[in-house]
Amino acid sequence: MEQAVRSEFISSGMSSSRRYCRSIVLLLLAMVALNACAARSVIIEGSYPTPNIPPLPMTLGVYYSDAIRDYVYTERTDAGKDEYLVSSGASHIALFNTVLPAMFQQVVVLDDPAMANERGVDAVFIPDIDEFQLGMPQKTRLDSYEVWVKYNMRLTAPDGDYIADWVMTAYGKTAQQSFGSAESGINDAAVAALRDLASNFSISFTNVPDVRDWLQPRLQ
Amino acid sequence: MGTTSTMAGLARIGIYLTGVLTGGLGLAACTTTTIDEFRQGDTGIDIGESIVILGRRQGAAYETREEFVECVGDRIARGNDGITVVPEQIFVDALFPWFEPRTAPMRSEDLQQLMAQPLVTEKMAEFDVRYIVWLDGQTETSNRMGSISCAIGPGGGGCFGFGSWEDDSSFEARIWDVSSHTAVGTISADASGQSYMPAVFVPIPLIARVEANACSSLADQLKLFVLGG
Repeated sequence: MEQAVRSEFISSGMSSSRRYCRSIVLLLLAMVALNACAARSVIIEGSYPTPNIPPLPMTLGVYYSDAIRDYVYTERTDAGKDEYLVSSGASHIALFNTVLPAMFQQVVVLDDPAMANERGVDAVFIPDIDEFQLGMPQKTRLDSYEVWVKYNMRLTAPDGDYIADWVMTAYGKTAQQSFGSAESGINDAAVAALRDLASNFSISFTNVPDVRDWLQPRLQ
Repeated sequence: MGTTSTMAGLARIGIYLTGVLTGGLGLAACTTTTIDEFRQGDTGIDIGESIVILGRRQGAAYETREEFVECVGDRIARGNDGITVVPEQIFVDALFPWFEPRTAPMRSEDLQQLMAQPLVTEKMAEFDVRYIVWLDGQTETSNRMGSISCAIGPGGGGCFGFGSWEDDSSFEARIWDVSSHTAVGTISADASGQSYMPAVFVPIPLIARVEANACSSLADQLKLFVLGG
């Protein structure tokens, strides 16, 4: 009788540990399945050199809106499922924080464009991302990752009046590596695009017609 | 027992066949390289002066690979008569944004305009750059033929078949003299070669080192050119 109870106890212990193992396996399988379905996050990280250009003798206020700070591009599969979430806000801010101080004598980052007057800036620069496109090798049939970005740049007077509003595009690509991950390919292409933006922006800023007209009397 | 000896015999034949094919094709998997030089001005470099080799990356279809630029630079810097070569990325970063794909000077006349920028002249003087060499080109693979199939079973595995392809490298180096803001010459290197991959149990790649040969031939000629030889 005692033996029967013990064997029942052992068998119940065995079955509970088996149940426990089964639930762990199921949980792991569910996690793997969920992970396979989940979109992968790519946070763009890169460093950008300082432009070698003479700085303009003025104080520029720069305002980074929440739209650029938290910018996330979603790349979807042909079936419409989220595949990659590309966050480039922090990298864009790092880029402008490197480029602008080389282009202007002084740069002030504004938390609110309405603070421009009290901070004594000559103008406020507001960059924004209009469009972001990603070219993946498996979709384009090319051996490279490509990133194309369309920006809307605005320059306003401290009181918010219009000075200039113009569109800029940036393009970057990187060759697909045999053993490289898609995430690093996307990152490298995006960093190349941001570098393209930095070079084009720093050289062409004074040639934007409305900016040129506004600068002319100030530089004389 | 009988099956084992048959398998062993087959494997031995396979190895012999591979050896014969390897020997035969090894002779064939070679590269032909042609170098052309066009000189427009006198050259020479003083001790302490350096050169920079930059890859052209303006085209949408292809980009000159960084590895090729590095290969040419390494070879030019090598030896007793080695020339100081400023690494591409260090130079491009230091002169940002003037040598980016979108902004880099395309003609030697543009260099004159660029050198009018005091910050650019300053950086060039810091590196003591005498010549800028623009490398432009790529390696293309064509005429892929044959097929190799591999199989694996309980008794072992192996591959059978034959594949071949042709590689063509075409590169051009344009040399600009920074001191006179002029183009002093062009050197082009064209290399081609057939690669083979016979597979009898084991695939044996017989790769024609086309790009490596284009790199070494171009670098040797470029070094002579810059030294004024």
